[in-house]
Amino acid sequence: MTAPAIEATGLTKAYDELVALKPLDLTVPAGQSLALIGHNGSGKSTFLRIVAGLLERTGGDLEVAGFDLTDVEARATTSYLPDDPVLYDDLSLREHCEYISRLHGGDGFDGYALDMCERLGLADRIDDLPARFSRGLRQKSAIVLALARPFSLLLVDEPFVGLDQPGKLVLLDLLDEVHRDGAATVVATHDPAYVDRVDRSIALRDGEVVFDGRASVDEVMALVGG
Amino acid sequence: MTRAESLAVVGDLRRARRKQRVAAIHWVDAMYQVYITGVVAVIALLTLSSLIGDEKVGAATVADLRDRGPAALGCLAAAAVFLGLRSGSRGGPLALERADVRHVLLSPVDRGVALRGPAYRQLRFLAFVAIAVGAGVGQLALRRLPGNAALWMVAGALYGLVLVGLHYGSALLASGLKAPRWLATLLGGVVLLWSVLDALRSIDALPASPATALGHLPLWPLGFEPAWLVGPVLAAGAVVAGLALVAGTSLEAAEHRTSLVGQLRFAVTLQDLRTVLVLRRQLAQERPRARPWVPALRRGRARFPVFQRGVRSVMRWPVGRVVRVVVLAAVAGFALRGVWQGTTPLLAVAGLLLWVAALDAAEPLGQEVDHPGRTDAFPIERGVLFLQHLPLVAVVSTITGLVAAGVAAAPFATPVPVGVAVVTGIAAGLLAGCGAVVSVIQGAPDAVDVMAISTPEIAGTRTVIRTAWPPALAVLGTLPILAGRAAELGAGDPPPVEAAGRVLGALLVVVVVFGGWVRFRDAVHEAMRQAVEGMSPSRAVERMAEERRAAEAREAEALAGSRRLAGLDGDEDGDGDDVGPPEPRRPKGAPRPTKAKPRPAEPRHGVQGGTSAKPIGRKRDQR
Repeated sequence: MTAPAIEATGLTKAYDELVALKPLDLTVPAGQSLALIGHNGSGKSTFLRIVAGLLERTGGDLEVAGFDLTDVEARATTSYLPDDPVLYDDLSLREHCEYISRLHGGDGFDGYALDMCERLGLADRIDDLPARFSRGLRQKSAIVLALARPFSLLLVDEPFVGLDQPGKLVLLDLLDEVHRDGAATVVATHDPAYVDRVDRSIALRDGEVVFDGRASVDEVMALVGG
Repeated sequence: MTRAESLAVVGDLRRARRKQRVAAIHWVDAMYQVYITGVVAVIALLTLSSLIGDEKVGAATVADLRDRGPAALGCLAAAAVFLGLRSGSRGGPLALERADVRHVLLSPVDRGVALRGPAYRQLRFLAFVAIAVGAGVGQLALRRLPGNAALWMVAGALYGLVLVGLHYGSALLASGLKAPRWLATLLGGVVLLWSVLDALRSIDALPASPATALGHLPLWPLGFEPAWLVGPVLAAGAVVAGLALVAGTSLEAAEHRTSLVGQLRFAVTLQDLRTVLVLRRQLAQERPRARPWVPALRRGRARFPVFQRGVRSVMRWPVGRVVRVVVLAAVAGFALRGVWQGTTPLLAVAGLLLWVAALDAAEPLGQEVDHPGRTDAFPIERGVLFLQHLPLVAVVSTITGLVAAGVAAAPFATPVPVGVAVVTGIAAGLLAGCGAVVSVIQGAPDAVDVMAISTPEIAGTRTVIRTAWPPALAVLGTLPILAGRAAELGAGDPPPVEAAGRVLGALLVVVVVFGGWVRFRDAVHEAMRQAVEGMSPSRAVERMAEERRAAEAREAEALAGSRRLAGLDGDEDGDGDDVGPPEPRRPKGAPRPTKAKPRPAEPRHGVQGGTSAKPIGRKRDQR
């Protein structure tokens, strides 16, 4: 039996007196697509960053694909697409792809990465430095980097921020493809339209789960205060 | 991914990036920086050497140094461990690139491999600086102390290495073991306090601090025991253990630290002390208290809103800041005791410490300076607003000065007389506050500054003055103790307190003048800017051209007036060629006068075959 993509038990996070995540029990089966919705400050990004390994949890247990979060295997499994693209200033997009692919045991810049660059309109900018890119282009570069490596769990934080409409549509297609290929996806978003495309939606409010299941757009609007 | 594979991938990246960085280096600039650094270092060393002198100290002093020196020097080692543990508990000592955290440390490579490279480089640089500074201090020591000259420099360099090793190793250990901040502060604090008490010999029953054993090393030329080599062994062990555990570094702390350290370095290069302070607080995660120390101050309508805003800010000081200010004041108090006992250079130490403490008192003012858009929106001048912030700075920094005075006058060993200590505390606190306000208000140098693009000599002098005068003000504030000491030595006429009080009176005048500087600084700067622009050669040429044009225009007008009076004005023959005085010749460089655009002709009355100005129909139909 395949281990769940994420298994959190009593997961908590506190910043001094501020509790960002109250004890959270959550299981995301392998291959499931999940939308994480909620107000600003509800704990969506905190949860994603904990699962990605960027934040230390204050309490509770967390396993990714059956591995403890400190294991190298958990890192090999998880790809994280942040809402703030973080790129090297002195590497071109091609060099980024090559380097990150190699860090994950790949061969470098391959046809899949090139295909994604073309779909996202970055084909002409592959050899440019991202330092000269606009916010939207940097976001598209981050999308390429998050997907151009092997993973079975994709964590995405506010992916549509800064993207133009064609870019947004391509990203939606890519997320669907990733899901079809068997990876679990967890997408934190304020975009109510996205919940129609996922298997399950989870709403957080003040660090607590207030909804878990398949949600309609109206329900999401009510939950996120739209 | 195996360790070898990790090494290969990470090594490839580092090599590729180094190649790009080396290609981007401006070698002439780099060599110029090396040259300037070397010149400054030599000048500093020569200046210090001349201050210290060549006269050898007596046997009693050497004996005293042998007796008390190790404990005092051990305090440095304890401080290195304390600071290292604190830094490590906050994600230090490494300052990684954010992209490295996101891409390398989140990938399945060996984190030890990824982190040891930056750690080696950082350690290498620190070791180089430590050897240079240690050897320099050894060179100063050998001028007045007996023993082999080369050995003093070697011992100094070795002790510098030990300090770096202890600091860096303890930081790596705390970081790798994810030591909580409270634990790191507690452990380091105990070691430091123990060493300080040992150095002061205030508790007879206290056993010698372990750091005191390390303090023997730099005094090696006065006598050597193999046991003293425990310092280098301990430092090397700390570094090796730290490097072995570096993979345990918290990514949360590393990412938090990574962006701040970059900004901090940039602010330091700009000599922007205010930004350095703010970033350092963020780095230390020093946040204001959610609840003020005195909750009643949260409500109520004040007659002096600016002062009340400042009080609210102070009431939210976190414990760490309160402790820091008290510790700084206490150490300044000890320095004042040293001055009273005859070590005059400690005056600078006391002034500098009180100035650093006063920088926290100027925080509410700093918040205004940080947001010029907001202050400009207030219906009062910036100078008036800043002036209204000064009373709070004065109150807080005076209290800090009085804490220093309390330590200086504490009844043990050789205290400063209470009256002199209080007067000095008030003066030192006030002037330290003035220095802190200058540091906050003047901020970073302007991006476009007429003076900054002048010759290096002028720009350099200006930079030195900008940097030096805030702490110099603070040091000025400690002068009453010198007057008091001189009076004490001069058989009490006038009495020490009165002598110190007279200096305080003079310094109060400085404080009043300083208030005027704060109030009218913007206006004075604007006037200076205009004056400097007026002195600019290109601006002078432009001004002369403008004056010449104005004179020619006046002359032409006078000529036209004369012609009118003589009845020569107008077109006498009606042919339209006589249209007044000739146009003055355009000076070289003056803008070309714009010609009036021809107006469209007035439409004639009657049917014209349409209102369009364009010919009706296609061109080929019109042929």
